[in-house]
Amino acid sequence: MAEIGGDEVERVIALARLALSEEEVAGMARDLGAILRHAESLAALDTEGVPPTAHVIPLATPLREDSAVSPLDPEIAVANAPRAAGTAFVVPRVIEGEEEG
Amino acid sequence: MSIGVHPDYEVVIGLEVHTQMRTASKLFSPAPVSWGEPPNHCVHPVCLALPGVLPVLNVLAVELAIRAGLATHCTVHEQSVFARKNYFYPDLPKGYQISQYEEPICTGGWLNVPVERDGERELKRIRITRIHMEEDAGKSIHDAAVTGRDATHVDFNRAGVPLLEIVSEPDMRSPEEAVAYLRVLRSVVRYIDVSDGDMEKGNFRCDANVSLRRHGAEEFGTRTELKNLNSFRFIEEAIRAEIERQAELLDDGGRVEQATMAYDPGRRRTRVLRFKENADDYRYFPDPDLVPLVLDASHIERVRATLPELADARATRFQRDFGLSDYEAAVLTASRTFADFFEAVVEAGAGGTAAASWILRDVQRALKDRDLEIEASALRPEALAGLIAMVEGGRTTARSARGLIAELVERGGDPEALVAERGLEAVSDTGTLERVVDEVIAAHPDDVERLRGGEQKVLNFLMGQVMKQTEGKADPGVVRKILAERVG
Amino acid sequence: MAAASETLEEFRASLDSGESSSRALVEAALSRAEGIDERLSCFVRMRAEGALSDAEEADRRRAEGEARGDLDGIPVAIKDNMVMEGEESSCASRILEGFVSPYTGTAVERLRDAGAVVVGHTNMDEFAMGSSTEHSCFAPTRNPWKPDCTPGGSSGGSAAAVAAGLVPVALGSDTGGSIRQPAAFCGVVGLKPTYGRVSRWGLIAYASSLDQIGVFTRSAAEAAEVLEVIAGHDPLDSTSVPEPVPRFREALDGDVSGLVVGLPAEYFERSEGCDPEVLAAVREAVATLERAGATVREVSLPHTRYAVATYYLIATAEASSNLARFDGVRYGRRASEPKDLGDMYRRSRSEGFGAEVKRRIVLGTYVLSAGYYDAYYRKAQQVRTLLRRDFDAAFERCDVIATPTAPEVAFGLGEKTDDPLRMYLSDIFTVSANLAGVPALSLPCGFSRGLPVGLQLMGAPLAEAMVLRVADAYQRHSDHHRQRPPEFA
Repeated sequence: MAEIGGDEVERVIALARLALSEEEVAGMARDLGAILRHAESLAALDTEGVPPTAHVIPLATPLREDSAVSPLDPEIAVANAPRAAGTAFVVPRVIEGEEEG
Repeated sequence: MSIGVHPDYEVVIGLEVHTQMRTASKLFSPAPVSWGEPPNHCVHPVCLALPGVLPVLNVLAVELAIRAGLATHCTVHEQSVFARKNYFYPDLPKGYQISQYEEPICTGGWLNVPVERDGERELKRIRITRIHMEEDAGKSIHDAAVTGRDATHVDFNRAGVPLLEIVSEPDMRSPEEAVAYLRVLRSVVRYIDVSDGDMEKGNFRCDANVSLRRHGAEEFGTRTELKNLNSFRFIEEAIRAEIERQAELLDDGGRVEQATMAYDPGRRRTRVLRFKENADDYRYFPDPDLVPLVLDASHIERVRATLPELADARATRFQRDFGLSDYEAAVLTASRTFADFFEAVVEAGAGGTAAASWILRDVQRALKDRDLEIEASALRPEALAGLIAMVEGGRTTARSARGLIAELVERGGDPEALVAERGLEAVSDTGTLERVVDEVIAAHPDDVERLRGGEQKVLNFLMGQVMKQTEGKADPGVVRKILAERVG
Repeated sequence: MAAASETLEEFRASLDSGESSSRALVEAALSRAEGIDERLSCFVRMRAEGALSDAEEADRRRAEGEARGDLDGIPVAIKDNMVMEGEESSCASRILEGFVSPYTGTAVERLRDAGAVVVGHTNMDEFAMGSSTEHSCFAPTRNPWKPDCTPGGSSGGSAAAVAAGLVPVALGSDTGGSIRQPAAFCGVVGLKPTYGRVSRWGLIAYASSLDQIGVFTRSAAEAAEVLEVIAGHDPLDSTSVPEPVPRFREALDGDVSGLVVGLPAEYFERSEGCDPEVLAAVREAVATLERAGATVREVSLPHTRYAVATYYLIATAEASSNLARFDGVRYGRRASEPKDLGDMYRRSRSEGFGAEVKRRIVLGTYVLSAGYYDAYYRKAQQVRTLLRRDFDAAFERCDVIATPTAPEVAFGLGEKTDDPLRMYLSDIFTVSANLAGVPALSLPCGFSRGLPVGLQLMGAPLAEAMVLRVADAYQRHSDHHRQRPPEFA
């Protein structure tokens, strides 16, 4: 499992919405391979019946009262936008209903 | 075989409903929930996923989720976990949606749904797999008139609005059953004040998973998912169209491929939005910004105590107190306002079975024809009770009364006055009726003979003729008596 | 006039006596930053105008007898992954170029409420991913002790700024050692509190279940003081611990008699590749504590060798999701002339993120993806449980755990950038505290080849007071923390 092929790296790069050159993909495959080989050491450890830790603090999630605050000034909401029209963010045209391809 | 079911294939339908919870602020953000505002007028740094923001859960959303679970006979879990569903889309600000995945708040419920099968009306139990909380995405505006040809606009007003996703088992076998289930479910969430269920605003919308299999087959066929259906009519049409499409594929020896579909109401056809590929990899994992939601049993019980009398309990009471059938009781209690209306009619003096029968047959049809909810109609319970009393007292006929229901539903009014105004009082004057009966007997000598020969059903025909002559105003009891005298 | 190397207490004394003013202190910090920082690159952005006006407000308050507390008027620096209303924050990443926050994070807000004057944002490894501050879209920060060495990372800018005497206090964040390791490399105190002790609201996330804001100061006593200000429950952070904040300074009685210092064998005998001079300095520091009355006992943290792998699987998984929001839609960098939406995403992200960030996003995406989740992510979470249990068991037997902070002293610029795994493995002594969520502090305990060595003290959850007490006691018996980089003395 620690060997990670170029195809596999390409699949993950696509999932992460990155675009890398062939050279970068090869370097990435090499680095990931090394890191994952190191991570293989975990496989030898018996964790049968050990509950996973997602959070270190033994808390229940706090609950917020259902009261609304005043919203951001719409001008400020879009102030950082690379592209905006009025108070809407603008992106290249998406075909309705389609996921990003 | 009921309508809509295919002669060769059994239709299997499972539904995922998203209903917007009735809260003032969003699920994890204190931004207000509102509708119809200009783009990005109801956002907070959390809704925009600005760097450094964190989610905090809305207590009312949790209460409403518990209510929905209890009202649908689910187990409400003392621990549930929020997970991230990772995917990229411009209206998904964080690049993930906070939802519940492996440990939802509610699982394993059911609803009884009135269905018609082989002409029989009965209750069918539709199982609910799970109910979980999640946040809505923002809105992408594709209208080229607004955005121009090359752009899409993104508005995050809706981003983070609290939704309940209610997932059924694949227990429905026809488009009608699917719609019947949705009607009951929508009534329930409205009944218990979880959601306004407003379908036009998208506050109650549905994805339908549809597959076909040969009658008698055990395994399910490959299913497709119809996305974002937001009216009962479209849901029924879309499922019907998808059944057609799949059946044609299968008939031609083809295979159904797993896909996400959209319904085009103009052409009454479904089309593939995209095929599901292995590339759909949402990489769910527990949201590290939120720790588990923990509810103690007493909290759940406190919420239970605040619920109104639930539909089932009320249906049982209606059966017991008013002698209704389980079907009648279920339909009457499917919506709180409908059940309230029934009780008000009874309160105003009508008998239970008569009230149920008038409501379920005539009132419901008039509402359906006008696409109205009972609370939006002008019919007052006292008016219906009064009309029923007039029929039972022989002061007007059922037929005349039936003719007034549509008008009462639409415009309201006092039945006494309407009957008088329209001259719909029952004719019970023996002299007048004897004359009409004699005319009918004279005009149908053969039928009279057959009646004398013992063919009782001819009596109804002759009665009908008298009614026709009197424009439905003859008191049926009096007519029957005269006929019996003359013929016997 | 404020000299370079003054402590917080000295700063305060000069304010209280009227010998100096907040404005003068801030001006001095700004002008020193301007001069020195040409070479060190501690700061990525100064906040000259805002800081001066804040300082004048502080002086006015003080004049009117309304000083807000011990930090009123004191210049401080914050790491570039913390947001402040109306100011830029970039996480040292091109992808956040020009981003101006419309809100202020809790820790920064609390510092400002206490009167502290934020003079600027400090340099860091991009998105806090790195151990050298070389992975910054700005110039790499240099170590004030030896400018061809790194200051450590990722909070290298904050550590170096305090070491060089530019500010007496700086905030950093620590996900796998990002406060403690640069503190060790730069010869200052760096405290990572218990997970949940300081609100993460307004901290740009790297790995949410590990990130924690903490402080850089010269002394443990100063760290205690600043922690009192920034710590405490915050309803805006669901992982914030709803516990009252102790008066940490009251715990600093200089007395360690009767306390038990645990030495984990795994960090000493069985640790491969740890510089012997570093080990010697740490042992000497432990001996100092022993002479001061503490008892030393061997303890065991048996799963230590799995910590780095566990850390990188969990941290990158969370990071891959946390960094999905940088998509060029609402803020930050967008590639020019995207031909469609997919192109916009891919190019904006590929041009905006540096190589190390991309490496971690890809690794994290991989470990969460279908088919690998159980083998990597879930497995790592289970090992995390074992690591926590190690600490629970160890703290049954001791009050604090003492270890080296890093297996070596500051390494040269460019020395490890080609070998990510080697860079990751140098986090061996720090990542466990993040995985277990326990408080940990690094303090100077000697020198090797002219570079500072760090002693790490770890405590039980919420036991910052104990960690600070031992650190403070040590500093009463040593003067390593009073050493100054020769050039900045």
